[in-house]
Amino acid sequence: MKRLLPLLILAAATILLAQAPNQAIVRTPNGDRLAAITKVDTQTFFAADDVIAALGGTVSPDGTGFKASLNNKLAAFGPDSRFGVVGDELIEMPLAPVVVAGRPYVQWQFFQGFVSRAADMDVTWDPVARILTVRPAQHTVVGVQLSVANIQGISKVVLGLTAPAEYAIVKDQTSYTIRFKTPIRAPFAEQSYDDPYIAKATFAGSDLRLDLKAPDVGADAYKLDNPFRIVLDFHKVAAGPATTPANIVPSRPMEAPGIHTIVIDPGHGGKEVGAIGPHGLMEKDATLALCRRLADNLETRLRTRVILTRTDDSLVPLDQRTAIANQYHADLFLSVHMNAAVVKGAHGSETYFLSLEASDELAKKAAEVENAAAKTVTPETSDLKMILWDLAQQEYLNESSRFAQAVQEEMNRATHVQNRGVKQAPFKVLVGATMPAALVEVAFITNPDEESKLQSDDFQRMVVDALTTAVERYKTDYETRIGVIRAPVAAPAVATDKKAGT
Amino acid sequence: MRRIAAVALIILASACNRKQPPLTPNLNKENKVAMRTVALYYESQDLLLVPERRDLPLPENPAGALDVVMHELVKGSVNAAVPKLLPADTVIRATYLLPDGTAFVDLGGPTLTQGWATGSHQELMAVYSVVQTVTANFPEAKRVRVLVNGEPAETLGGHVSLSRSLVPMPSVVAR
Repeated sequence: MKRLLPLLILAAATILLAQAPNQAIVRTPNGDRLAAITKVDTQTFFAADDVIAALGGTVSPDGTGFKASLNNKLAAFGPDSRFGVVGDELIEMPLAPVVVAGRPYVQWQFFQGFVSRAADMDVTWDPVARILTVRPAQHTVVGVQLSVANIQGISKVVLGLTAPAEYAIVKDQTSYTIRFKTPIRAPFAEQSYDDPYIAKATFAGSDLRLDLKAPDVGADAYKLDNPFRIVLDFHKVAAGPATTPANIVPSRPMEAPGIHTIVIDPGHGGKEVGAIGPHGLMEKDATLALCRRLADNLETRLRTRVILTRTDDSLVPLDQRTAIANQYHADLFLSVHMNAAVVKGAHGSETYFLSLEASDELAKKAAEVENAAAKTVTPETSDLKMILWDLAQQEYLNESSRFAQAVQEEMNRATHVQNRGVKQAPFKVLVGATMPAALVEVAFITNPDEESKLQSDDFQRMVVDALTTAVERYKTDYETRIGVIRAPVAAPAVATDKKAGT
Repeated sequence: MRRIAAVALIILASACNRKQPPLTPNLNKENKVAMRTVALYYESQDLLLVPERRDLPLPENPAGALDVVMHELVKGSVNAAVPKLLPADTVIRATYLLPDGTAFVDLGGPTLTQGWATGSHQELMAVYSVVQTVTANFPEAKRVRVLVNGEPAETLGGHVSLSRSLVPMPSVVAR
């Protein structure tokens, strides 16, 4: 009889909690509760107050939206957006919440996003049984596949996972360990490789250790989605930086120090036309014309390798522009734009480098990243990955400032347009560049005088000369400071292939 | 044993029948409204942001007040000679003010939706007129996250990164 008791209770619960058509069961570790639901276009929306109350929290109106409180964590959401907000993070829902009789109704993904952050819980929705289950997060076992291949001097280690998983990379002199935060199913216990850099891979518990053949080998690590993969590119590094956490910021393989490769970025392109002048000149066309001439001039005068982020009227996403520069291990990045203002008569040129004061929250997170770096651990959650991308430019800010200064001074000297100075701003195209980077606003395309100047051959030549001299000055200054003293004209020719990086 | 099952049923029944307190309808309707002088930021002839003072009846709760102030900002200056910084068809879709100091301003309108053809300076002025107006009038707001059509946006017109929340930038404001 005792064995039947749980069944009896379950049966009783089923009868009592048999949901009305407009109700669902919220199953929590503390028992079942009912929550009001409503349907919009076959999609189920839950009364947020019922569900959050079942978990011990509250929901109240707030301005034009609502706020939910649970374990001292707050989420804001409203009928105007399918994104809710927890702290500085966004919770994505397939559809925006709806308000019925003053009560906010949301899809189950809202609870998944909020509850997982407010308490370490997983939320699942069974639409057939109409049960919303909230239970302590269970980290499922993730299958791992491993491949190692040496391509053009880089050993690519690819970890294919059956589901996204959090992990950290721990590095010491002769090995890299990928430490998964969830249980994994390993393809083998140990395997040796006939590879220039990787000696052996060993799985133990939730760790994968990659033993290196030499201590002067480093790796750039990144993730790919659909399917989820972790990629480590192993390559030779200089002996010195091997002990520093170089893998925090994507590192460049060491070549002869100095400025050898320059990426020039003609602003805008394709349907993103940029600013438009009063006589119809489009920023995207003005930047491309100027940058083509600049690339030729740089190659001829400085004998450096120059890569344009676009060579025609194509649309290149902003983060891809810096990614191209990173991919080519560029030593300098210059984005060229034409300015716009609503104030009539605005004129002049200005040069920007990135400001990282865009978010004090980021600075706080940066400190956390640095602390982690001090322990030579790379915590690579998706969030941190994004912060690392945001921080990539940070270590180059001093150099970017010097470069921007050279650009602005040469622009003033040559073009005699108004000097609007060197400034900092959180420009998207500069974020993520792992080299000194600046953005020059040549002139105001919205000013009729400057618009005509931008179309004149003489003015374009002056700007191209000014920018080339600025790069030359910065190159000489930098190479002098790091002890590679050589006149720019005597610099050894590297490749002179000008091509679009795409 | 039957008795135990019956007791279990009663307990369950009482647990399920417990009424939940109904939510109060929109608090704003019950909120007191008071006149306040607010500072709305527009661009001066010096190409810097300057405050324009305006007296507004504002709900006393900051979340409600934020919404009113943002709607007022996009109406533009009372001085017809001062141009609008955001595209003229920009609308404020929603605003949130979180107790941790993040204000969310959700912008919309045809131009921002289709892609705004503009230059760096104008975009900087537009974005920071929002950031400056929020943080100057609401000391509890330390940073501002700008959304477009309820979603995270990369930029408004190809320049200023909106991937993270923004703090005020004194260099774009007149001293």
